Amino acid sequence: MARKDFLDIASLSREEVDLLLDQATPFKELFTRSVKKVPALKGKSVLMLFYEPSTRTLSSFEVAAKRLSADVIDLDVPHSSVAKGETVKDTVDTLQAMRADYIVVRHKMSGLPRAIARQTRASVINAGDGAHAHPTQALLDAFTLKEAFPDLSGRKILIAGDILHSRVARSTSRLFLKLGVEVGFLGPGSLVPRTGPEGITRFTDFDEALRWGPDAVYLLRVQMERQEVQYFPSVHEYHRVYGVTQERFKRIRGEGIYIMHPGPVNRGVELCHEVMDYERSLINQQVENGIAARMAVLYWLKPQTDSEEVNRE
Amino acid sequence: MSLLIKGGEIAREEGAPVRGDVLVENGVIKAVGQNLEAPEGVREVDADGKIVAPAMFDAHVHFREPGQEHKEDIAHGTEAAINGGVTGVVMMPNTSPVIDSAAVVGAVLDKARQVSRIPVYTSGCITKGRTGEGLAGIDGMRNLGVVMLTDDGDPVANPAVLKNAMEYATSFGMFFASHCEVPELSGPRALNEGKVSYQLGIKGSPACSEEICMDRDIRLAHATGAHVHIQHVSSAIGMKTVRWWKERGAKVTAEVAPHHLIFNEEDIGEYDTHYKMNPPLRTLEDNAALLEGLKEGVFDLIATDHAPHGEFEKGQDFVSAPNGITGLETALVSLHDRFIAAGEFGWDLIVKRYSAEPRRLMGLDPVTVEEGKSAELVVFDPAGETTFSRDFMRSKSVNTPFLNQTLKGRVDLVVRGSEVLLER
Amino acid sequence: MAVVLDENAMGEAVATLVEQIRATAQRSRVAIVGIRSRGDEVAERVCAALEEAKIEHDYGMLDISLYRDDLSHLAENPKLQSSEITFQMDGAEIVLVDDVLFTGRTIRAALDAVTDYGRPARIQLAVLIDRGHREIPIQPDYTGVKLETARMDHVIVRLKKTDGEDAVELVTTP
Repeated sequence: MARKDFLDIASLSREEVDLLLDQATPFKELFTRSVKKVPALKGKSVLMLFYEPSTRTLSSFEVAAKRLSADVIDLDVPHSSVAKGETVKDTVDTLQAMRADYIVVRHKMSGLPRAIARQTRASVINAGDGAHAHPTQALLDAFTLKEAFPDLSGRKILIAGDILHSRVARSTSRLFLKLGVEVGFLGPGSLVPRTGPEGITRFTDFDEALRWGPDAVYLLRVQMERQEVQYFPSVHEYHRVYGVTQERFKRIRGEGIYIMHPGPVNRGVELCHEVMDYERSLINQQVENGIAARMAVLYWLKPQTDSEEVNRE
Repeated sequence: MSLLIKGGEIAREEGAPVRGDVLVENGVIKAVGQNLEAPEGVREVDADGKIVAPAMFDAHVHFREPGQEHKEDIAHGTEAAINGGVTGVVMMPNTSPVIDSAAVVGAVLDKARQVSRIPVYTSGCITKGRTGEGLAGIDGMRNLGVVMLTDDGDPVANPAVLKNAMEYATSFGMFFASHCEVPELSGPRALNEGKVSYQLGIKGSPACSEEICMDRDIRLAHATGAHVHIQHVSSAIGMKTVRWWKERGAKVTAEVAPHHLIFNEEDIGEYDTHYKMNPPLRTLEDNAALLEGLKEGVFDLIATDHAPHGEFEKGQDFVSAPNGITGLETALVSLHDRFIAAGEFGWDLIVKRYSAEPRRLMGLDPVTVEEGKSAELVVFDPAGETTFSRDFMRSKSVNTPFLNQTLKGRVDLVVRGSEVLLER
Repeated sequence: MAVVLDENAMGEAVATLVEQIRATAQRSRVAIVGIRSRGDEVAERVCAALEEAKIEHDYGMLDISLYRDDLSHLAENPKLQSSEITFQMDGAEIVLVDDVLFTGRTIRAALDAVTDYGRPARIQLAVLIDRGHREIPIQPDYTGVKLETARMDHVIVRLKKTDGEDAVELVTTP
């Protein structure tokens, strides 16, 4: 694989996906060593361009980059104000002059990482853009589920929550479909789009969704504060109708269904407290695997050299 | 200016083009017929295989003057029009300041008189400042010849305001052009709500937003006796809405833009802002219905909604980039390339919908290729090619999806009265 | 393209190597660490011989791709394989095993990798083939066979388990 940027799942071939999933393993093995670092990216600079606040993803990328011996620089960009297009372009020009090798971008505008990738020689990694994509999350999700089911094809995964606004839902569902996993979407009718995802079964009833027979239930974080117009009446109602209530958890536990969540978890909304102690919760593995998956991505990307023309796709 | 245009196919509103010669003397069409001879000193132009048509008229353009002259100005916009075979335009009033009073109307028309080689008309805002609240200086604008009122760029959000405006201005013989959408439904006004908006992760603007407002504006017009002209219709149900009301005798006219006939939401690809405009590109089904509506006469005219924007602005992320693409220079060639060359419709439709009806809308006489009339025509070579390179464009902006593409057809000659405006 | 070492010659080289290592392994417990790829197969043969002689030893495998000094110059990075170091690295007596010793850069990378696992008491180097042309000051402690090559020659090693046969080919570039 000789690819400059990692922007979304859609642009990856099956071979690239299989390679990255395979290559996360040797990186995970490093975690058991006393020295968890390897010199593969020594002398390279990884710049963090996080326009949206995120401690979880940011630190995961930082650890990944540092374990590859790269120099990590967190560009303190404005979180509060709406970062308009021209500010981003100016930032990109600055980064180009700084000769960054890798740029990890998180932004609320869908499509922005691609726009940056076109303008710079650096390898751009999308750490989440608007509601569009979060490809490294998808990778770690698939890697995690593969640990539970080495042969993924034919498995079923139910993604539940605010699908409409979720880049995780989009990327993760796309990747699982690529791997031959059957995908279902569950959520309030106002949050599960009717137009859009092909080949995905749409559910608006949790119990019906469980009858479909998922091997894993992937819970998305649900936010009330994000909503200008309400999509559902209250978190209380959400939990009752669409959350993993104690009742539903008994059933899930009884059937040995795995539970996943990209974090951070909203106890009492997506899930009841008991889920956090569930032996088939893969939530902590997802975090650990996130570092390995991101190391694999950093290892496999190839920034353009100075002698090459900036890639204007 | 005298010319003998020999052997061209003369296009008209009705019927197929007819082969003939056109003799222009001192800017007037002296004769139209077969085997005409050029008098002494009159140059011959060989139009064998070419179309000789009345020059085009675009009833919906944005020239950004005053206030955003870095994108376009009247001088460049009119030259772009000529480049596309267009010899008359109606400017939209969403400039900065907006065109909502005699003062601003006077200023832009004066400027046009100084710098433009073709007649320029302007619409005026419905509301003062285009804020959707108070009424604009309607009478003052009327006195300077304004006949079209529009808050284009936005709908008039408050129906009571629109109703009052209609009641008021209709008695002056003015009509209303409507940009239709329900702002609360439209999200960030970036693209159609559907498959592509899901994939790209951007809140889309559903077609019903436009359709609801279309219906509202037509009903208000119907109730007040006003003439409403629906701008840039983009959806199948939108087309059907116009058709339904026309069948019931409402005083409604409507326009369609070439880009809504040619492109759909899939063309956006990876966030390409050359396919971003408002109303947005919708689906293939909408393309088909709009084409059907054009052929049937549901749409009275074709108008480009020529919307120039700077490269830097269009180079922003998809949501931030401004809406719109240029159209004046590409309209005729692209309509020929995509529809006439493909046999979908003929030159009669183009002459009717892009030359005659737009003029009628503005209360002007259509131009025709007839003896005794002033010469105002375009010679178009269907066998030629046009490459829309930056050098080719006369507009200040090049935000068109056709940039650097080569299409079938070429505007070869544009003549208006005693002036040859363009000759390739 | 010429076969410079056939199956027999290879067998002899392995035997020579094993004989040398055996002496050390008898004195104190060693950890045989094969360097992927092919170094691991050579290491396996050494271990098999030690097992036959009932000499106790540890065994590990090392993928040194992440320690290469030329990664940024490659158009495409090498595919990583797992390393396997299950014994305690601290205080261990390591014998690194590789199929070919050439510039020495692979071994330099292997030394870095080994020391990231812990602090061995001693590291020795065993190579099946030494083809000369060192670019850093690294010399083997145990050698199976020495091969005369030109700097720009390609040496292609094939081993039974990895490639189906035992042979070494030399491709000279004009």
